[in-house]
Amino acid sequence: METFWETFKRHGVNRRDFLRFATLMTGIMGLSPSMIPQVVKAMETKPRVPVLWIHGLECTCCSESFIRSATPLASDVLLSMISLEYDDTLSAAAGEDLEKHRKEIIKKYWGNYILAVEGNPPLGEDGMYCIVNGEPFLKHLKESAEGAKAVIAWGSCASWGCVQAAKPNPTTAVSIDKVIKDKPIIKVPGCPPIAEVMTGVIMHLVLFDSIPPLDSQGRPKQFYGNRIHDTCYRRAFFNAGQFVERFDDEGAKKGWCLYKVGCRGPTTYNSCGNIRWYNGLSYPIQAGHGCIGCSEENFWDNGPFYQRLTTIPVPSVEANADKVGMAVAAAAAAGAVAHGVISKIRSKPNKGGE
Amino acid sequence: MREETVKRIYIFSPSLRIWHWVNFLSILTLFLTGLYIGNPFFIGSVGHEATYAYARNLTMDFIRLIHFSAGYVLLFSFLFRLFIAFFYKGDRLFIPKVWRANFWKGLVEMVLHYIFIKPWHRTYVRNPLARLAYLLLYLALAFMIITGFAMYGLSDPSGFWAKLFGWVVPLLGGEFMVHMWHHWFAWLIIIFAIVHVYLVIRFDVIEKEGEVSSMFNGMKNFKETPVDVEDVA
Repeated sequence: METFWETFKRHGVNRRDFLRFATLMTGIMGLSPSMIPQVVKAMETKPRVPVLWIHGLECTCCSESFIRSATPLASDVLLSMISLEYDDTLSAAAGEDLEKHRKEIIKKYWGNYILAVEGNPPLGEDGMYCIVNGEPFLKHLKESAEGAKAVIAWGSCASWGCVQAAKPNPTTAVSIDKVIKDKPIIKVPGCPPIAEVMTGVIMHLVLFDSIPPLDSQGRPKQFYGNRIHDTCYRRAFFNAGQFVERFDDEGAKKGWCLYKVGCRGPTTYNSCGNIRWYNGLSYPIQAGHGCIGCSEENFWDNGPFYQRLTTIPVPSVEANADKVGMAVAAAAAAGAVAHGVISKIRSKPNKGGE
Repeated sequence: MREETVKRIYIFSPSLRIWHWVNFLSILTLFLTGLYIGNPFFIGSVGHEATYAYARNLTMDFIRLIHFSAGYVLLFSFLFRLFIAFFYKGDRLFIPKVWRANFWKGLVEMVLHYIFIKPWHRTYVRNPLARLAYLLLYLALAFMIITGFAMYGLSDPSGFWAKLFGWVVPLLGGEFMVHMWHHWFAWLIIIFAIVHVYLVIRFDVIEKEGEVSSMFNGMKNFKETPVDVEDVA
């Protein structure tokens, strides 16, 4: 396969624009400027990598996000940087021909292709809740992963389970790392993940021929190394103790911190605060809505989204920890007083043994 | 009255008494500041631009600073508490002797006594029920320290605290749940404290063991030799 530089030349891109692009990519991948020569070298020498992109139980919001990547343009990634061999959503071909092609690619590039998984496999009823080409997606996934060099788990579905794995999880949907055990998995959670994060992860894989540094939960450190809260432009209001109490109050109009209306920024790791969305245009908090923590495990079960303290997870108790705690503490104090009075009345000299 | 038989036994070492009051102050501070952090119920920086409100008033930032400082005090006093248990027998009273049949008998006896079924109980330096309760309290404190420093440290996921305690986050089902567990356990500790204060006063008033003053001078009064006196002598 031809290298990036060769592909660029074929498309009529001059050397200056090529270097400019390499510099931009270095920044997007979270690398220091001293790495620019290495990125240029990699782009001059590394061949494009074949990618299989498969879809399981999901809503395809990851793909929707991905095709809106601006730096680099998703079309550039798909057409010039990777060799996207299979994607049942984006490809023009369909049906048996496409499936045949997938099997050929697995054989041809055994051990060298990258598998990108969007969505997850439901295990219930032998995987019958998600069928691809007449077969359970579970089988599709295992088959495609077997010869892969590395696996990318796109979005919260593939990384954690997301909405379909929320309680009570009727289809027993699980994250892909519960099924694929013997391959390096890069988790790119988010519902959906940020477009530039997705392309950044692919670029890192392709240019350095290695998986990016991952944190303890398997997420690339350069994109999931900070809390939304710690990169939030409204952080000053949090530190000052100035909070929105209701979405229509004075604080909301002034753009104060959304902590008290349930913002999950303090417990969510993602790049929304610095890369933002739609080519850096905005992100939920900037639009006046709290973060719902979509890139965190079990975020769907940690509701309600508009409360800071969730209700106690005991059936038919509709109160948060502070209310229950206060009630139990009051009951304990009242009980102590009553117990003390009864003890005093009934007290006798403490004669042990008798 | 059999006052001539009253025995004064030295139980609590100076280290333990100092630890007790440091622990009391840090828990109180942590609980009050923690309540504000969980639910900031007042604005401490009225009339200031957020940028300039830092540390000038009772801001979230300042209250968090107090919370984290008290957290460090709690951590190191807890380590100190474990450390002194190696050197003085009387500082090991929190260990329930579950391997002895007497412990279980005594436990049942204390429960029956507290629910007014049994009018008397044997005299202890530290009764089995209390031993169990203190062990659970220490475990709760350890839980608060681990979850607290995990949340504190994860601002920098490659940092020291994240490496030390970060493992607790996936265990409890994500960082949001760590916040919730931390909150629930805070209330458990406060409820322990209420019962603790009541029982101390009760022993002081009804059984006249000098329980309250024992945490200042280290001595308790007994009308007969406690069953578990070998644990301090």
